[in-house]
Amino acid sequence: MWDAIVVGGGLAGWTAGIRAAQRGKKVLIVTEGVGTLYYFSGIFDYGDLESLRHLPKHPYSLFDAEAIDRGKHFIQELCPEYIETNKSQHALTVLGTARQGDLMPRSMVLPNHQEQGSFVLLVPEGLKDFFPEIVVSNLVREFPGWQVNVKRVHAENFGEWQRMGKSASGIDYAAIWRSKEGQNLLAQEIEAIKREHQGAGSRSGKIAVVLPSLVSEYFDASRTKTYVQDYSLPVIEMSSFLPSPHGRYFAEYLKHQFTDLGGELMIGARAAALNGKPMSAKQPKSCQEIIVQSMGKVLHLKAKKFILATGGLLGGGIKVGIERKLIQEDVFDLPLYVPQEWSTSQFFASQPFAQIGVETDKCLRPLDTNQGRVIWDNVHVVGRMLAHWDPWTQRCGGGVSVTSGCAAAEII
Amino acid sequence: MDVRNELTARLDACQKCNVCTAQCPVAKVNPHFPGPKGLGPDMERFRRGQFIPGETTLDDCSNCKTCEVTCPSGVKITEMILEARRAARKGPHKTMLSLKLRLRGYVLGRAEYLGKLGVLWPGMANQALKLNLVRWALDKGLAVSQKGPLPAYGRPLEVIEDKGGRAGGAFRKQVIYFPGCYTRYNEGDTGRIMIKVLEHIGYKTIVPNFHCCGLPLEANGQFDKARKNGLYNLELMRPYLEAGVPVITSCTSCGLTLKEDYPKLPAPGAQMIGAQTYDLFEFLWQLHEKRELPLDFQEVKACFGYHLPCHLKAQGIGTPALRILRLIPGVKIRNLDAGCCGLSGSYGFKAEKYDKAMKIGNPLFEAVNVGVERGDFQEMLTECGVCKVQIQHGTSIPTKHPLRILAKAYKIILE
Ligand SMILES: Cc1cc2nc3c(=O)[nH]c(=O)nc-3n(C[C@H](O)[C@H](O)[C@H](O)COP(=O)(O)OP(=O)(O)OC[C@H]3O[C@@H](n4cnc5c(N)ncnc54)[C@H](O)[C@@H]3O)c2cc1C
Ligand code: SF4
Ligand code: SF4
Repeated sequence: MWDAIVVGGGLAGWTAGIRAAQRGKKVLIVTEGVGTLYYFSGIFDYGDLESLRHLPKHPYSLFDAEAIDRGKHFIQELCPEYIETNKSQHALTVLGTARQGDLMPRSMVLPNHQEQGSFVLLVPEGLKDFFPEIVVSNLVREFPGWQVNVKRVHAENFGEWQRMGKSASGIDYAAIWRSKEGQNLLAQEIEAIKREHQGAGSRSGKIAVVLPSLVSEYFDASRTKTYVQDYSLPVIEMSSFLPSPHGRYFAEYLKHQFTDLGGELMIGARAAALNGKPMSAKQPKSCQEIIVQSMGKVLHLKAKKFILATGGLLGGGIKVGIERKLIQEDVFDLPLYVPQEWSTSQFFASQPFAQIGVETDKCLRPLDTNQGRVIWDNVHVVGRMLAHWDPWTQRCGGGVSVTSGCAAAEII
Repeated sequence: MDVRNELTARLDACQKCNVCTAQCPVAKVNPHFPGPKGLGPDMERFRRGQFIPGETTLDDCSNCKTCEVTCPSGVKITEMILEARRAARKGPHKTMLSLKLRLRGYVLGRAEYLGKLGVLWPGMANQALKLNLVRWALDKGLAVSQKGPLPAYGRPLEVIEDKGGRAGGAFRKQVIYFPGCYTRYNEGDTGRIMIKVLEHIGYKTIVPNFHCCGLPLEANGQFDKARKNGLYNLELMRPYLEAGVPVITSCTSCGLTLKEDYPKLPAPGAQMIGAQTYDLFEFLWQLHEKRELPLDFQEVKACFGYHLPCHLKAQGIGTPALRILRLIPGVKIRNLDAGCCGLSGSYGFKAEKYDKAMKIGNPLFEAVNVGVERGDFQEMLTECGVCKVQIQHGTSIPTKHPLRILAKAYKIILE
């Protein structure tokens, strides 16, 4: 019997699992696949906390300011490289435009627009879906006072790839930059840039090297040899794009943190239903076990608490039948809030379908949408599965997932 | 039918997110390999238009199933690849090269016959396999890598017939053991220890004269033979399955085959085999949950690293060995979870794949070495025989089946 079973291994599920394991609980995470972390830019978006917290029914309205801070501290404790400042901070997207972000790695934070200096964009040869010309033109536009130069880097590891005319992904390159050879290569390139600039007596003193996804934040010293290179110039890393190196390494890092705390991961298994009964006629039901489909057989897994972190429409937690006739939550068959209008015609406007999800009380327990009664006493819903928010227009995806994951773990 | 299953069965479920290819260990080291998305859902569209890629490209997939457990959309990627390999077998690519590779496929796929030969003269076979000349000849003649860690042969595991009469009759508590070729011919000891452990917890073990489960045959393109083996084995199990007797596996690849492939065979036992097959530790855990597992453990003061074999991960049952071993006082285990070992059955034995296999295994080797250097553990545990051979080959750190720790705790073996 576990203290808690978390269904879904995305950002919200991992957060809940690790936090609960840190609190000494015995936790099992059951997940079918890896979730949307593999799309993660490397930046936690929290959005405009003050106004969102006052939006009726928004997940943030379920938490007080301390709960939100606890989530942020949780991330910063796991990854001390993550910082937050009072001023708004910006990072570069893969297209070279500046994007606001709330909790981001030190290495991503852009210098002040008002300053002057020069950027040297390091372009790894054959990096897939990376367009240096566009990056340069955007950088020039965003930073009028800055000079922008380009330098190509050739990593011999991908020589065979390049000779075939095949591109290497950001994840492949991140693996190189995390290795000893990769870091030595970078150090040499950066030293060469520094010497060139000193030789040319460049216009201003400040030089920064810009590189797509370096991913130096998530190092697991218990499984990889760590090499800490000091580069002779500051390096600014761009945020990640699909499939995301930051997401990939962060997911691995979370997995190792979780299992090292004694947590167990059951991947490749799909939760299909739950069994439970009402404690009395008036009270909410109590869940005893979930039914999980493993290869060839059905497992009955028992726990005291259950955390639903199945990620809504994109994560696979909500299924939609043909022509939207049927829409339902897939594990516990919980009632869903479904807006009247599914989508608006303006593509960039807030999409009502984004608001689909489970309504809960302050303890994140699922509510019956009509009467507002708690349905399950020991089931807590977290992350994208919650109703009444929109990660796209409100830019608070990471914030809601981390805050709710942490909060649920505190009540296990 | 479940709406979602209906969707996933169709290739439309693929969102083209490329996450599977980003995680595929082979795509990482081999630029010629199109990767799971390329070979599975993408090619599926071509195949419907009767375009069949060359057999050798398809053969680059080691069938580790990492892509499948990764996919956020539950796409049955390896099923598509396997289907494609079946189609390619019948395809028009019959060059000299592929003739040699087919011969090798024949030899490597016959783990069972090799095993029988090997154990007839274990000493001689082991000596022969150590001879550079023999390895050179295997490399040149059959493209079996000279450097690959071919496992040694030992005293084979004996068949134990059912003397109790009708299945499920005389003994209330009995199990069928499916040892698999590796345990049977290369590591009979593990099988014998397992039978003693089962006896200690009150179960009588029957070991019918099974053939190879079929997975190595399939991996080496021998689809008809694999199917025949499956049907033969299922027929042997049928009376026991009908009597509700559980089938236990200690090899994770055999276990996966019994759970994933056998239910698809057109035979009477097929509906039962999936639900009645248990990985050894999965079986012990469900006994423990019913409070039927004896806990008369002696203390075993030791720290271990653990490698989760890909084919156990793909069973979707978590890590039951860790759950059980953590019940033993003194035992400390760290699950390294550092990816595929690279060997994948007979994959890493193939000459053109040896270097790639070693590269694939690198993160795991590094994790093992770092753990030992930090003093976290001195030995490795893993259920899969070939993972074990590969970890020892890549790191020189002693590696065992976790069963041995349990047997020690039960005072069945000393070391
Ligand atoms: C493309 C994209 C990019 C994003 N980028 C950012 C960003 O840069 N910064 C940011 O702050 N936020 C970002 N977000 C938003 C944020 O990441 C999400 O809000 C958050 O990841 C949701 O996490 P989750 O854990 O709730 O769900 P998910 O990540 O979707 O995870 C759900 C998990 O549940 C599993 N699952 C589903 N059903 C079952 C079942 N029945 N049984 C077992 N397992 C099941 C799935 O396999 C999956 O692992 C992004 C979102 C998307 C879609
Ligand atoms: S098969 Fe799955 S992981 Fe691979 S591209 Fe398609 S949806 Fe993504
Ligand atoms: S089974 Fe393994 S080797 Fe084959 S495509 Fe999938 S991840 Fe790659």
